[in-house]
Amino acid sequence: MKKKVIAILLSAVTVLSMIGCGSQSAPGQEAAPEAAQEVAAPEADAPQSIGNSVEGELSVTIWDEGQREGLQKIIDEWSAQSGVKATIQVVDWNNYWTLLEAGATGGELPDVFWMHSNVAQKYMENDLLLDLTDKIAASDKIDMKNYYEGIVNLYQSNGKQYAVPKDIDTIALWYNKTIFDEMGVAYPDDTWTWDDFAAAAKKLTNDDHWGYAIAPGNNQEGYYNTIYSMGGYVISDDKKTSGMDDPNSIKAVKLFTDMIAEGSCPDLATVSETAPNELLCTGKTAMSINGSWMLAGYRDNEYAAANCDVAVLPYTKSPEDRVSIYNGLGWAAAANGKNIDAAWSLIEYLGSKEAQLKQAELGVTMSAYIGTSDAWVNSVKAFDLNGHMKMLDSKLVFRPYSRDTTVWEDMMIEKLQDAWTGEKPVDEVCKDIAAEMNAALAEE
Amino acid sequence: MKTREKKKISSRQKSEFIWGWLFILPTMLGLIVLNIYPMIDTIRQSFYKTGDFGKGNVFVGLDNYKKVFGDTEVWQALLNTLKYAVVEVPFSIVIALLLAVMLNKKIKGRDVFRTIFFLPMVVAPAAIAMVWKWLYNSNFGLINNTFHIKVNWISDPNIAIYSIAVIGIWSVIGYNMVLFLAGLQEVPRDYYEAASLDGANGWQQLINITIPLISPTIFFVLVTRIIAAMQVFDLIYMLIDLNNPAWKKTQSLVFLFYKYSFEKSKNGYGATVVVVLLAVIMVFTVVQLIGQKKWVHYD
Repeated sequence: MKKKVIAILLSAVTVLSMIGCGSQSAPGQEAAPEAAQEVAAPEADAPQSIGNSVEGELSVTIWDEGQREGLQKIIDEWSAQSGVKATIQVVDWNNYWTLLEAGATGGELPDVFWMHSNVAQKYMENDLLLDLTDKIAASDKIDMKNYYEGIVNLYQSNGKQYAVPKDIDTIALWYNKTIFDEMGVAYPDDTWTWDDFAAAAKKLTNDDHWGYAIAPGNNQEGYYNTIYSMGGYVISDDKKTSGMDDPNSIKAVKLFTDMIAEGSCPDLATVSETAPNELLCTGKTAMSINGSWMLAGYRDNEYAAANCDVAVLPYTKSPEDRVSIYNGLGWAAAANGKNIDAAWSLIEYLGSKEAQLKQAELGVTMSAYIGTSDAWVNSVKAFDLNGHMKMLDSKLVFRPYSRDTTVWEDMMIEKLQDAWTGEKPVDEVCKDIAAEMNAALAEE
Repeated sequence: MKTREKKKISSRQKSEFIWGWLFILPTMLGLIVLNIYPMIDTIRQSFYKTGDFGKGNVFVGLDNYKKVFGDTEVWQALLNTLKYAVVEVPFSIVIALLLAVMLNKKIKGRDVFRTIFFLPMVVAPAAIAMVWKWLYNSNFGLINNTFHIKVNWISDPNIAIYSIAVIGIWSVIGYNMVLFLAGLQEVPRDYYEAASLDGANGWQQLINITIPLISPTIFFVLVTRIIAAMQVFDLIYMLIDLNNPAWKKTQSLVFLFYKYSFEKSKNGYGATVVVVLLAVIMVFTVVQLIGQKKWVHYD
């Protein structure tokens, strides 16, 4: 009996404490919006205040921590003009897409966020992104002619524009000056052809290091560049047929398989365990082909900052066929956002010449607005970034994509393994890829 | 008389019933919201073809299942999972059992060793995977450089899955050991004294006394380990990526589920893959529950 009484007393205490907690938190939750309104109220009186911005802050979501600081500065400038606060939230690449997908399914997307070529089509077709077409037409800051064409087209669906281009990347040849000096090879420059590149890689190879290391899982930092440089193609303009069985495409892949075969490029097992940029940062490879997004990594690596530099990619026959496969992010807004007017105002600002100049100046990335990236060259002292910068003047080819890019891209990466290991001849692998890719494209 | 007794019990039963449910209510709610509902929903989804963003799901009946049974990738993944389990489970149990028996004796620094062997269990799997990734690295790894060998531990399709199983064994030994130690505390000392009087050596004691007496613990560990081994994911996810030559020979069923559900957004097909895994695990468990009559002694 005594036990029962104690038990009842104890549970009563527990229940009471729960109620206590509940009653404490409930007013707290109510208080928050009130406080926000109080803070926001003076902003509502501010002359430039936009629409119903009293609701409070805009949420901006990106996946690159390295860009947060610079972008927040730019966004703060917009806040000073508009009176609306906006805070950046960084979520790493993998979780970013999980979060976005969950947000899209549940109708809770961030107000403003980055869009990427892999999934853009899917998001646009499902009307999840805010249609910017009319807003752009009415804007005096944004004109789609000012941006690199491929990025503009990427974020179009059924003649509507769903995102404003943010940045552009280029591919360049990173190299280890110390190894070049040691082996007595002249640094790469804009006169190199792909044949010179392969010959140099051979000369730069010894027991301690390789001449060049391929990234088998990253086509944009590898064979896509040579395919388009040598006159081949990955996907036709109408996105219906694969070009992987084109003789020039096969030749372009063969450039790398030959290098692996003769030992101037490490075998697949090595590069799959240790990425080429890690090999470059440890003096294990003399050259690595990388995108401009790798800059922060090299800048923050002591060895790379002291020993490495970057040059333009080689060409095939004449400097006109020097190719950089490029890609670019876009700023998009949620179609069902709470504060669409403010979101558009932020995107308009981020896409304006002023902000795009600032983005390059702060060293965030090169900008998608043509002619605003010059300042980017001076953003990192350790390297001569003209290597990346001058690739903007080369033949820019937009990264091949279709509606379901990853389906055939992953298939290609898997199948090419047999070519890298030399298990099957390159032309056989490429023809096999083309056949499967055509089937995948037919299903889209 | 009879009716009175019945009434008495029912009033007490009633009170026990109410209090019992009240006390397990929080747990039940958690289970229903976090486990049971998602499970049912997963099974439901396996009959659908997923549309973008949860909209436009199409009921396709058994199509996903037909596809799964004809999909060589699924069969390969099942084979990989079984290979992993076949290596991980027996080794982790045998080694842990021997360690437990040794650390149950009064030896110097017993607690220190117990702690050391249990430590891997406390470390995050992602951290374990990263460290082992470097140990296994074929060019710069500690293992190859110490023994001056050139083995592609995690990029040779023939051995990669076993290399991963070794990590699995290493990280789970401590946990199994603690369970066995708990079981060993139940074994009365007198049996060993009687056995040594009869002249039985350590090995004979282990086989004839220890193992039969802690067989319920061994059975429990075996069942739970097989279930856990069949669900291996994190190690493989951290160690192997798409351009690894061993990719196809290492991806497990849960990995395949992850790939379809979270990377390719084909939740329906991903759900089908896990339902198949669920069926496989259930078959294994039922077989073990039947088989236990032959070797598990409950007193």
